[in-house]
Amino acid sequence: MRRMKILLAVPVVLMSAGCVQVSAPEKPIEINLNINIRQEVVVRLQQDVRDLIKENPGVF
Amino acid sequence: MSRRTRLILAAGISLALVAGGASVASAMLQDASAQLRASGQVGEQADGYLGLVGSAPAAVRAQVDSVNIKRRAYYTDLAAKRGAKIEEVAATTACELFRTKVAPGQYYRLPDGVWRQRDGSTPIPLPGYCG
Repeated sequence: MRRMKILLAVPVVLMSAGCVQVSAPEKPIEINLNINIRQEVVVRLQQDVRDLIKENPGVF
Repeated sequence: MSRRTRLILAAGISLALVAGGASVASAMLQDASAQLRASGQVGEQADGYLGLVGSAPAAVRAQVDSVNIKRRAYYTDLAAKRGAKIEEVAATTACELFRTKVAPGQYYRLPDGVWRQRDGSTPIPLPGYCG
């Protein structure tokens, strides 16, 4: 039980560490876009996304 | 030093830090993403984030991380406003970036995970959901 608690604490510590410092991985992260993106969702968001890109030229 | 003074001091310092951070951010290059894409070391991914095409110097990786953190914040914000998933907003943005921001010769990565270079003025073949 105690061991489990320690194991559970590890990701929490790692996550809070991630808020402060971000280190880039050596290898590019394998992207996985197997989530189901529905076309109607894309169409619904399209205008908002266009505005977002236009308003933030440095980020996009 | 009283507890109250310390509190006021702490508040002042954190305010100064926030303001300092904001001015640094606004002083950042207006076209950071465009420059990164143009370098050939960085490309646009179907997940809505910039990615490293090969192994890149630490400075480039840091810039990519910085841009991606900001993107994530914008995606999160818009997703909450529209009741959508962050991934959906991010993927929609990628569709738009593939259409409008990846110039000929620059790199892009579709959901198959393979880096490709945009060939001449041919548009990037978009994933089906891009519409």
